[in-house]
Amino acid sequence: MEKKRGLTLLQKQSRAGWIFLTPATVLIAVMSFWPMISAFLMSLKTGSSANMQWNQPIFNNYVRMFSDKLFLRSVGNTFLYLIIQVPIMLVLAILLAQLLNNRDLKFKGFFRTCVFLPCATALVSYSLIFKSLFATEGLINTILVNLGILSQNYNFLGNPTSAKAVIIIALIWRWTGYNMVFYLAGLQNIEYSVYEAAKIDGANGWKTFWGITVPLLKPTIIMTFIMSINGTLQLFDESVNLTNGGPANSTITMSHYIYNNTFGTGVANFGYATAMAFFVFIMVGILALINMKVGDTRD
Amino acid sequence: MKKKKLMALFLAGTMVLSLAACGGGKSSEESSEATSSDENTLTVAAWDPSFNIPALQAAAEDYKANVNPDFVLEIKEQSGSADIETAITTAASAGNYETLPDIVLFQDHWFANYYANYPDAWQDINDADVKWDDFSQEKLGYSTIDGKHFGMPVDNGAVITAYRVDLLEECGYTIDDMTGITWDEFIEIGKVVKEKTGKYLMCMDGDGNDLVYLMLQAEGVSQFKDGKPYIVGNDTLKEVVQTIVKMAQEGVLLLSNSWSDYTDQAIQGDQVAGVMNGNWIIPTMEKVEANSGKWEITTMPTLTGAEGYASNGGASLYITANCKKTDLAKDFLAYTFGGSTATYDKALTDGGVISCYAPAGESDVYNQGVVFFNDQPIYAKIVEMGTHVQTIEQSDYHYTCRTQIAAAIINIINGGNIDDELQLAEDQLNHEMGN
Repeated sequence: MEKKRGLTLLQKQSRAGWIFLTPATVLIAVMSFWPMISAFLMSLKTGSSANMQWNQPIFNNYVRMFSDKLFLRSVGNTFLYLIIQVPIMLVLAILLAQLLNNRDLKFKGFFRTCVFLPCATALVSYSLIFKSLFATEGLINTILVNLGILSQNYNFLGNPTSAKAVIIIALIWRWTGYNMVFYLAGLQNIEYSVYEAAKIDGANGWKTFWGITVPLLKPTIIMTFIMSINGTLQLFDESVNLTNGGPANSTITMSHYIYNNTFGTGVANFGYATAMAFFVFIMVGILALINMKVGDTRD
Repeated sequence: MKKKKLMALFLAGTMVLSLAACGGGKSSEESSEATSSDENTLTVAAWDPSFNIPALQAAAEDYKANVNPDFVLEIKEQSGSADIETAITTAASAGNYETLPDIVLFQDHWFANYYANYPDAWQDINDADVKWDDFSQEKLGYSTIDGKHFGMPVDNGAVITAYRVDLLEECGYTIDDMTGITWDEFIEIGKVVKEKTGKYLMCMDGDGNDLVYLMLQAEGVSQFKDGKPYIVGNDTLKEVVQTIVKMAQEGVLLLSNSWSDYTDQAIQGDQVAGVMNGNWIIPTMEKVEANSGKWEITTMPTLTGAEGYASNGGASLYITANCKKTDLAKDFLAYTFGGSTATYDKALTDGGVISCYAPAGESDVYNQGVVFFNDQPIYAKIVEMGTHVQTIEQSDYHYTCRTQIAAAIINIINGGNIDDELQLAEDQLNHEMGN
């Protein structure tokens, strides 16, 4: 056999490389790409999951979601969380990172751990804790009533506006520390001498922040933006566990509504749910693309 | 060189194989757990350790003692009824029923919808040796499809309206003053109770608001007509929704944010002087031991002032497609829940499960006074009330409808226009039904 055709060393190495890659490639194709393709095919079907039929017309599920007021509301809710929560969170994260990056600060490690610690809690457990904190008979109500701010217990999770606010507060608490860690890492990559030079030139803290920190952190900021947008569009645990989408579906998120159409409430409608999931996927893609274009520093 | 290559290929191959073996091994293990190969063993999935599981244990003991001494019933406890619904969905979607137990306890309101979607997942029990006429026909209506019986009723969904008689007395009322009244009179009394005792005379889960269905059933009206939603133009429904909104605004009705808030904070948190729901709510009420002897039950108020009867929730036992011992399963169901007072008596004493099998109500256990309810013989009364429930049009979309109208009610309480909100609810319901 070896006589027939000898391979050069390069060819042998290349072949070995392909052989090593094959198992992982096959596994990814079978476990990840094939399900994606079959999910797309499923999103064109309708009916009982035991016996799914092609839609007539074929894109009916995609058309249907735009006349589904509840789905549109879930899209609205998700974007509301996105627009309010992500900027507040990222600004807070960058300010905290700036504070904790101070060379003269004592117990830096302790404070950093404190801010990062919420990220170590499981999503379900922190949602349930926020639920009990903001319950009508919960801690927040007791404190506010005893301080005289509220005259009687307020049903935070029973009012559409305050329920949304509670979700946003919970999200900020949970994710600020996570983003701060990225900023801290970014800040540590900025040479201290740059700041010293700015100081000598007479720049104050505010100017240094906008003139040096923000531009040099730009790649990190873009990354956290994309991650936060992606995470918020797929928001699920808080909506399910904190408010269960209520009151009157005023806090339901897209992922939660998709889940309700599969296992959440009643008989599964996998075709429609998958179509909605693809819509979310397209939105995440578009938003990430815009973000990368805006943040592109190449000329 | 060649050896090494072969070795690498071999290792990669074993890796893939071992991964595949992991997957395969696990699923075969699970399927052997789902049913038993022993010919005298049946498996059943149920979810409430303080309610329907003691009833199943009672039935197993009864069948073992009187019919088949080798009989074993393996009860697989689930965390909730949704687990069983998910199990049916996944098994039927995969077209492989091996993961299902022989028998499942299934919510009545869901069955027709799951049958329509997954007809192959079920086996009928039409030829089981049961006198179907002895059961509440309203209850059987849920589990009978095209004239075939699929489910064996376990419990009874008859609605009780329970009041704290000690608090009523404080306000100058008796349980008789609460019987056969209109909702307007109820609201007036509720306002007095709230003012004098600080407690709500009515409570319900605001998200899964059953009040609409209960109050409508007491009037003999459905939310559906000829298979279509009947919300807009349904004057009774509008009046019921207005009543609920008024009750909430006047501080007579406590609408909790979720089911667990309803059971844990409203009822067990002792915030209420009245509870109206299916009688399966009784074990929840009994957890507040301090209020023992202070409750009594009666019929529902109605819009007209007649005594109201309704039924809510409840479950039946269904044989799945995975059951190979169909004869044993049918015989077990027919002997126990199909007519054994021994089973029903023990189910009642151990789990508080009340039968909808009329002869069961004649036994001594059912006619004893219950200490928690001021020595009122509530069980016989519940069986009796259950026979008055009117059969109204049911729909596969019962819970979808409930969710939409619950949302409408919350929006109306928060200032929405009643006609707009009901129109929205009907549109959304039509959308989900594909109309």
